[in-house]
Amino acid sequence: MSTQTTVEPVRQSVTVARPVEDAFRVFTDGIATWWPLRTHSIEGMTSEGAKAPETVVLEGHVGGRLYERMTSGEDGYWGTVTHWEPPHRVVIEWKVNPNAPAPTEIDVSFAPDGDGTRVELVHRGWERLGAEAEEARASYSDGWVAVMGAFENAANA
Amino acid sequence: MAALADPTRRAIFERLRAGPRAVGELASELPVSRPAVSQHLRVLKEAGLVSERRNGTRRLYRIEPDAVAALRAYFDEFWSQALEAFKAAAESEERSSE
Repeated sequence: MSTQTTVEPVRQSVTVARPVEDAFRVFTDGIATWWPLRTHSIEGMTSEGAKAPETVVLEGHVGGRLYERMTSGEDGYWGTVTHWEPPHRVVIEWKVNPNAPAPTEIDVSFAPDGDGTRVELVHRGWERLGAEAEEARASYSDGWVAVMGAFENAANA
Repeated sequence: MAALADPTRRAIFERLRAGPRAVGELASELPVSRPAVSQHLRVLKEAGLVSERRNGTRRLYRIEPDAVAALRAYFDEFWSQALEAFKAAAESEERSSE
């Protein structure tokens, strides 16, 4: 048994006026149609918002990668699909920052709600980041600074 | 609840990246009143992005120093906004489908 403290997961949800199959497809296969690439991508951050990657791809199978395709043609890894249950659930192990001591987990479920779909997203595993030594925490802070940089760009846009 | 969607709150947040500040200092640097700054700080604090500590008689605000807590708060914000973008994309897709 672990005595590690659990950090409350991030929980966000939205109701979409589309059937479950469509909502799942747009979220996964159509991720490039809604993800804010300029502010939330490796290329966007490293170019200080001047550039955005070509696209973002979510490979639809267990072990599939979530990555951005940069303008240079290189891929920037964000995460890996660990559960693929279309059209009801997808789980992604998220580790966009290579210095992070451990991945966090994004668990997204899609359930019928009247004529639409209730999409619930849980982003958990924060305690894994804090379980490591202080130096790991310090290196993670660098990733946080990069994230903050993206904020500044969004603010100045 | 999108704490950083507001431009004044982003400006306050950015000022705090340079170091801890009191309400009065922030108000003098920004074109907003002191009560307005206090109100914005309260929202940032509730979102977990900013914390407060007493230094003698002064109350100083700073970026939440716990990187994990701050990152969690950041993603809470991010997903709230990203899911709205997803909803808009999903609901407009019908008309543009081939």
